[in-house]
Amino acid sequence: MLRQLGLQVLWQVIGILFLGIALGIVVNQVRSDGLSMVGDWSPEAQLAIEPGKTLVIGLDEAQQSFYSKRAVFLDARSPESYQEGHILGARNLPFEEANKYLNAAMCNIPKDSLIITYCDGEGCSLSKDLALELFYMGYDNVRELIDGWNLWKEHGLPTKKGTSPE
Amino acid sequence: MRANSQRVLLVLRFILGGIFIYASLDKIHHPAAFAEAVYNYKILPAYLIDSTAIVLPWLELVIGLCLILGLWLPGASFLSSLLIGIFFVAILFNAARGLDVHCGCFSTSNSTTHGAPMGWYLIRDGLFLVLAGYLCFRVLRGKRRAF
Repeated sequence: MLRQLGLQVLWQVIGILFLGIALGIVVNQVRSDGLSMVGDWSPEAQLAIEPGKTLVIGLDEAQQSFYSKRAVFLDARSPESYQEGHILGARNLPFEEANKYLNAAMCNIPKDSLIITYCDGEGCSLSKDLALELFYMGYDNVRELIDGWNLWKEHGLPTKKGTSPE
Repeated sequence: MRANSQRVLLVLRFILGGIFIYASLDKIHHPAAFAEAVYNYKILPAYLIDSTAIVLPWLELVIGLCLILGLWLPGASFLSSLLIGIFFVAILFNAARGLDVHCGCFSTSNSTTHGAPMGWYLIRDGLFLVLAGYLCFRVLRGKRRAF
């Protein structure tokens, strides 16, 4: 009795799974905005704005722009994290409250200046989202320093505590 | 009594079926945004993200339709509990490791303002899990008698 019921559930589960998977794949093939079955989720690909062009910047280049004062650094983390420590001179633009902080953080930054966003941890998507958002707002020279805060600390580069950038 | 309990089952089926169908529609409409939501959970390996985003919404739709139409109820109610259970564990797992993800449960739009707190997702999903578990239990018990 139980075995019969178990078998019935099993067959129906297989049937539903088959239907769902088949529908998903067929519709995905047909529609124009379908996905590839295996996508590229590397940081470079996620920040690719067109084939071959990515918004990722390496630490060396970021460091050079820091010392030559060519770049504006934007900290995409929360104000609390920013206060606990940030890259010296970085402005705080918390991505989750971007609308609130945008005007203050972006004032007197020309559209073509080099902007480097960062947050904490390779998995942190705030700086990636912020970089893409700014890029689509017309800041053509925006870059993301992946895992920026960790890298910066690890290499003993200048940081600052508190609410003011410098 | 019997008619009443049948009515409860029917209402439960419609509520859960409605939830599943509603949850599937926006994801079906915006596959790329849903893939992004799956990615943001940071649980699945990269090569499974897109296939999950392609298949999962349709699976939800089929389960929802089965529940409402009364087709393959044992399988559909079992799968609905299983899926909600998996979602619950995924949210719990991310809450435990302090990753505040936009859950992407019903809408794929990623607003820049703070989403609802993780605790709210957990309570809501926990409630769905209880409903689905109860429906599954009732359906299977009824079926067991019928064999």
